Amino acid sequence: MTTSAKPIAPRFLWLQPLLDVLAILAWGVLLLKYWLTGKVNVLLHPGYIWLVYCAGFFLLSLGLYKLGQFLWQMRRSNRLRPTAMPAHFSLFPAGWSSGLLLAVALFGLQFTPQPFASDVALNRGVTDTLTMTRSQPQAFRGNTRPEDRSIVDWVRTLNVYPEPDAYAGQKASVEGFTIHLPSLPDSYLMISRFVITCCAADVYPVGLPVKLSGSRSTYPADEWFRVEGQMITETIDNKRQLVIQAERLQSIPKPENPYDY
Amino acid sequence: MNQINNALTLFFSLLVEAIPFLLLGVLFSSALLLFVDERRLIQLVPKNPLLAALVGSLIGFLFPVCECGNVPVARRLIVQGAPGAMAIGFLLAAPTVNPIVFWATWTAFRDQPELVFLRVGCSLLIATIIGWVFSTQADLRPLMQPSIARAMPVPLEKPAKGKSKNQDSTATLLQSGTFMLGQKEQPFRLDGNPAAAALTANPALEKPLPDRLRLMMDNMIQELRELGGILILGSAVAAIVQIAVPREVVLGLGQGQISSIVAMMVLACVVSICSTVDSFFALSFASTFTTGSLLAFLIFGPMIDLKNIALLLSVFRTRAIVYLFLLAGQMTFLAALLVNLYIG
Repeated sequence: MTTSAKPIAPRFLWLQPLLDVLAILAWGVLLLKYWLTGKVNVLLHPGYIWLVYCAGFFLLSLGLYKLGQFLWQMRRSNRLRPTAMPAHFSLFPAGWSSGLLLAVALFGLQFTPQPFASDVALNRGVTDTLTMTRSQPQAFRGNTRPEDRSIVDWVRTLNVYPEPDAYAGQKASVEGFTIHLPSLPDSYLMISRFVITCCAADVYPVGLPVKLSGSRSTYPADEWFRVEGQMITETIDNKRQLVIQAERLQSIPKPENPYDY
Repeated sequence: MNQINNALTLFFSLLVEAIPFLLLGVLFSSALLLFVDERRLIQLVPKNPLLAALVGSLIGFLFPVCECGNVPVARRLIVQGAPGAMAIGFLLAAPTVNPIVFWATWTAFRDQPELVFLRVGCSLLIATIIGWVFSTQADLRPLMQPSIARAMPVPLEKPAKGKSKNQDSTATLLQSGTFMLGQKEQPFRLDGNPAAAALTANPALEKPLPDRLRLMMDNMIQELRELGGILILGSAVAAIVQIAVPREVVLGLGQGQISSIVAMMVLACVVSICSTVDSFFALSFASTFTTGSLLAFLIFGPMIDLKNIALLLSVFRTRAIVYLFLLAGQMTFLAALLVNLYIG
């Protein structure tokens, strides 16, 4: 443990405030960049995006103010005096923390967040059920036409009334990306979406099996498709479940916002 | 390559979600540290130890500070003669029982609102009980670091109603040491640890408003730098565990009623993530760990963790920290287990 009152060699006294200012400015710019480029959609639920740009503007103003103060002090006295702060205890050596913050922000400016793909879905276990540890559905609309239901709507409907036979024969038209589950036979693929409640840390995949007329190799994993067809019940992996009997698979562009809510 | 990309996306997602809340916490804690005089607060505390512990635990609603900001405030409270029950209650509950942490937890777990209320309720309960336990020790000085103990007022032998104020000032005057006379209310002490002496009163309160604002700005940057560094390390741990550790291992640990609680408590202790943003860290384990273990993480982390122990050592002797650690650990474990068995 060190205290920030620990003496720093006078000729390096300017380094700490400069690092602080740069780290704060860099984080302000990074948050605003993610917001302006729309990449924030990959990271967060849309309900919290306002927090990001508010924080971005605040950090930018704070950084600019401190930069002005820093430059003014440097010009005036050619060296900085330590501020008379109430003693503050810290865990890291001075400069270490701001250096880390600055480095991560600069890296973040170079890095483009990518929406998760089928490898994450396979790792997290793609299902047509919402397990107990998963968040519960926020809204349930029972009166939608079957062909208007998205994948998430289907999964939520199934979650409330899990008897697959109740939906057999209904029309389906859903959009999502493909996953080749090893446990499914070659003529089946999984059409999936990620659901997000807060940030990318809690996204989880949901999906429905699709029965194809041929091999799934025609439809590579992680491609986006609109699947149109009819609901049927099949026993796969010793489990009776709802399957889309595909009539048409149409390739669609990857949506700007990859998650569903 | 894809794994690294996923881990980085997760890492930045946690940071981007957490930084606005961190900023808000730092803003409030800096503003209140510089504008609230805790001496007035001490005068309002009830004499009953249980009530004092409860009031202390609830002060977080006035001082929304996380576990780094609360140690200096608790230290000032103790040095200025606050009852032990109140100071301990504040120390343990303030990082959790406050509006900013409530909002952040709500943001992360709005689909499991029971977790949000259980977090606040259990933290309040545990902090109040521990504060009450500590109140049986009338004189806290043997548990304090010598420099703090010297700066504390001598407790009264038999506290008599109505006379306490008078006796307090007598007690201060009877302390041995070097004093400077001619100050407004009481002589200023010159010897002892200068850092502790400076903390006997909030030094910023004496200054004119523009100076206070500048100090507030500086304090914000200092806390932002310190807590931001830890947030980055915490987010990195969360991202690496999620992506690199095989799902079977995580599930095996996270689905056991007891193993999950122990694992999350150890993680809370090691990661030391700030309480304003720890709910986002916990969220990344929400699909694999039991509800009770998430609760244990959210209660225990803000009370005791590695970073916090370093800070607590500036106030308490090791013995007191061991008591705090054991009491808080046992009660958290019990609460989490009850949740796992009967609610989760």
